[in-house]
Amino acid sequence: MTKRYLILNDGTSFVGKSIGAESTVTGEIVMNTNLNGYQESITDPIYHNQIVAFSQPSVGNIGINRKNYESILTSAKGIVIHHSEDISTSYLKKISLDSFLTQRNIPGITDIDTRYLLKYIMKHDIAKASLVDVNDEHAFDQLNAAVLSNQQIQQVATPKPYLVPGNGKTVAVLDFGLKEGIVRQLAQRDCNVIVLPFDTSYQEIIDLDPEGIILSTGPGSPHEIDDSVLTTINQLEHALPVFGMGLGHELLAMANGASVYRMKLGHHGSNHPIKKIITNQIIYANQAQDYAVDPDSIDTSKLIVTYIDLINGTVQGIRHRDYPTFSVQFSPDGSSGPTDSIDLFDEFLESITAHGR
Amino acid sequence: MAKEKVVVDGMAMQRALTRITYEIIEKNKGINDLVLVGIKTRGVYLAKRIAKRLEKLENAEVPVVELDVTKYRDDLKNKKSNSEPVNDSKVDVNNKNVILVDDVLYTGRTVRAALGAINEMGRPKRIGLAVLVDRGHRELPIRADFVGKNIPSSKDEKVNVLVSEIDDRDSVEIVSNK
Repeated sequence: MTKRYLILNDGTSFVGKSIGAESTVTGEIVMNTNLNGYQESITDPIYHNQIVAFSQPSVGNIGINRKNYESILTSAKGIVIHHSEDISTSYLKKISLDSFLTQRNIPGITDIDTRYLLKYIMKHDIAKASLVDVNDEHAFDQLNAAVLSNQQIQQVATPKPYLVPGNGKTVAVLDFGLKEGIVRQLAQRDCNVIVLPFDTSYQEIIDLDPEGIILSTGPGSPHEIDDSVLTTINQLEHALPVFGMGLGHELLAMANGASVYRMKLGHHGSNHPIKKIITNQIIYANQAQDYAVDPDSIDTSKLIVTYIDLINGTVQGIRHRDYPTFSVQFSPDGSSGPTDSIDLFDEFLESITAHGR
Repeated sequence: MAKEKVVVDGMAMQRALTRITYEIIEKNKGINDLVLVGIKTRGVYLAKRIAKRLEKLENAEVPVVELDVTKYRDDLKNKKSNSEPVNDSKVDVNNKNVILVDDVLYTGRTVRAALGAINEMGRPKRIGLAVLVDRGHRELPIRADFVGKNIPSSKDEKVNVLVSEIDDRDSVEIVSNK
């Protein structure tokens, strides 16, 4: 394996070995602290345009299988790992992580002390990183000159509506760059799913006569979404049960007057205890957030805070006081990550039943 | 031989109570002037669970009245079980938003009896009804505002609600005698 460098925008460089494609990439670097689910993370559109560094020391050991894609067009721009061993005899394994990355033209770097990298990134102001063959001045110039796209959502969200047919309730999913786990959970509950471009108008959505609305997860910043989408969300919550996740949660909060800020240090993992306020239960869930809803901006005569992250105190869930409309910051679909909150999909479908009563 | 079929498990029961709690906030516009009236026996435990949830969300207590409706029933010949007072909690229901809570809504006769009992306690502004299970077969013009689950059933079947406070688990079961 050839030598490669991970360089950061503060001038630091880490030396490692190449894995996957050998191209040079630059992007925002995020740390993922999940213990498993690398295939889901690499293919989750939420990491679109980002270089994902895994703090778990051993990544790729069970290869890539047919079951765990979160999107077909892969989304991470590059990956940083500590070690990958291609030893699995899993019957599901089709190809190794290395060949998968090569096929999809995703560059990676291995033999990096990613737990040290995590601590380093936590302490320093790191925004961008590159995977390069040579860590010379030119490479750093290129890195610092790189302008990161703010069009992630437009790049991964579906431009055309499509159906995932089922015999149960008809649910319209506004696609901000959804992970397939959402559709998978709806399909398991036999829903008739209509996936729509996120800028579909209120009237076009209502004309399809869905029984409930899902605002999907997605990459990037909620501030890049046009205000007209917030207006649509506002109209939708008056009419139908609405369930938002991730980016969808941030947009739902904004549509109801709350503000969303960029966290100094995002959180990508499933190790934070999250309190479900109504029952005082502690749950764990896969979180991938760079933005959070500002609790002070929440109009409590309109919204109720329903979930709180007990490590960093961020708002993890809200619910509208007047409508069956709720959202969570985390990914409840359990792919990857804990399935503690997977029954939020049941809660949503049950509120559709109650709404139609 | 009696056969049991679980139709609502513990998780689903918790979820139903959670949803009913949020729906109460939606309909009632918060918890101001709210009084929950649980119909003995299991309705009381369900009312207490809903009150606890409301308290967690709103940081304020919601009074729960325990109601024994036996003496107000029209379908029991032997009504001697009601030696205790109907409302021993001294909660004032006058001008309050009262929500009756029971486990199963069936003929509607229990609810009618409860309305009679509440009538003796005072004059609420409004009375609503929350039930965990609506099994149909109404004999009176009564419907619930908040329903955990609609379970269409046959009159030959029994619908049993179990709550972990007095039973060994949370569940709703249909027992058929066929």
